[in-house]
Amino acid sequence: MTVGDPGEETALGPGPLRARLRASRLYVVTDDLTPLEKVPELVREAVAGGADLVQLRRKREPWAELVELARSLQECCRRGGAIFLVNDHVDLALAAQADGVHLGQGDATVQEARERLGERPLIGLSTHTPEQALKAQLLPLDYIAAGPVRATPTKPDSVEVGFQQVTAAALVSRVPVVAIGGLDEGASAIEAGADMVAVVRAVCAAPAPRLAASRLRQEAAGATSWRWIQLNGEPRKSPPGETVLQLLARLGVEPPGVAVEVDGRIVPQERLANEPVAEGAVVEVVHFVGGG
Amino acid sequence: MEEGDRLHLGSATLGSRLIHGTGKFPSAELLAQSIAASEAEMITLAVRRLHLDGDRRSELEGLDLKRYHLLPNTAGARSSEEAIRLAHLARAAGLSDFIKVEVVGHEATLLPDPLATFEATSRLVAEGFTVLPYTSDDVALALRLAEAGAAAVMPGAAPIGSTLGVLNPHNIRLIIQECPVPVIVDAGLGSPSDALRVMEWGAAGVLVNTGIARAKDPVGMARAFAAAVEIGRLAHRAGLAGETGEARHGYGASSPTAGMPLG
Repeated sequence: MTVGDPGEETALGPGPLRARLRASRLYVVTDDLTPLEKVPELVREAVAGGADLVQLRRKREPWAELVELARSLQECCRRGGAIFLVNDHVDLALAAQADGVHLGQGDATVQEARERLGERPLIGLSTHTPEQALKAQLLPLDYIAAGPVRATPTKPDSVEVGFQQVTAAALVSRVPVVAIGGLDEGASAIEAGADMVAVVRAVCAAPAPRLAASRLRQEAAGATSWRWIQLNGEPRKSPPGETVLQLLARLGVEPPGVAVEVDGRIVPQERLANEPVAEGAVVEVVHFVGGG
Repeated sequence: MEEGDRLHLGSATLGSRLIHGTGKFPSAELLAQSIAASEAEMITLAVRRLHLDGDRRSELEGLDLKRYHLLPNTAGARSSEEAIRLAHLARAAGLSDFIKVEVVGHEATLLPDPLATFEATSRLVAEGFTVLPYTSDDVALALRLAEAGAAAVMPGAAPIGSTLGVLNPHNIRLIIQECPVPVIVDAGLGSPSDALRVMEWGAAGVLVNTGIARAKDPVGMARAFAAAVEIGRLAHRAGLAGETGEARHGYGASSPTAGMPLG
């Protein structure tokens, strides 16, 4: 599955939306405390500061008000060049013509959401364990969130999973990874393997949301990110500085019996330890199997 | 095997003339036991992408590959370029420069593409590989492959995996007679008697995969093929009566015609 890879025809169709998702660094999720009528202004500020994605997450408001709010946020994000998603509600995404929906492990299944939304809208899924991150790869979705990195009042019942969970997700994911949960600076999550940093309070509860968003965006964009490569035909991530030999080690194989091609060139065994894995590299790892 | 009767292929010297395939076995254990039972010294392998998630073990897990002469194949190639790429990958992964060139030219039967097989063989020979091309039972093509530098030619007895036995005995015999390099009959050998027959005719060896792997008892069948190959070889070296002397073109009594106590 090559969902989310901007350069390829994908199961979901290619599109600028997915290319924009790939280039995104800051993801702002609305909080529960900002009064409903202040949310559009908050989102405008966040987008002006550099939010690439905005997610509307409100649980208790009446449906009609939510639809109206979602429509206004969609318009505001469109003008500001940001992607607009709603939390949980496929119906709300459809009513507001949002760019997509973010689902939790307990919400409507990804498959159902995809069937109802069609191919264009983005679908994201929360994951809290390496197993969930791995299972998510089989679903028709566009990104996964990994968290909560830190304990957060936004989700009081959740168990903090740390940056290890971000890294675990990054090591198996074919789609962008969003780090979320108690984050208030942008670099650490990116260095741990995330493509994007998602925040709630760090922007929504900031005295100056635009400034906060701008700072977070800069921190995230300035951090040393993992590289996207094509590994055996699939989009995969590779940590900074990784060599081909290290890549093999984390795949659990070692020479002899394994051969590696990078961008169509075979890497001789004695050079595996010195061959860097560069951004955009097309890597093929083959091994011997039974044959006649 | 008789002392001193060894098969020389490139840098390899083989005591056993049975080359053992490693595909389609029910389990890694049975594969390892089957190879052991066959006493084969050369095994074939394929080159494929590593699975990134889940179980990365292959059926070769239980084998110590360093104990065997490895003959990787280019199975799956549909052009000479693909075959050459697979050969390069096999050499990079392995410990030898042996390659069984296999280029499919007809999907339904997996019969080889003669032009691409010749092209890949020529180029890989030039690059220093020890090339054993899988070819059809065409004598002219076998001769051209030998001329191009193939270390052995491997005509198919029948389509790969068919276990149909020797479909065209006349052609296989002709290739064995005419070819200046060892002829290893590959593909389609379904029963030990098939292997025995081609060995009697003078084949240098046989490659068996499906015939063993898909037998009810692969280990027992590996032993049976090994025995058949050995008997066929012994018979060939002994010289078949039908191919020598007075019996060659006619009939002859087995008992003396003189000294009858009659009349």
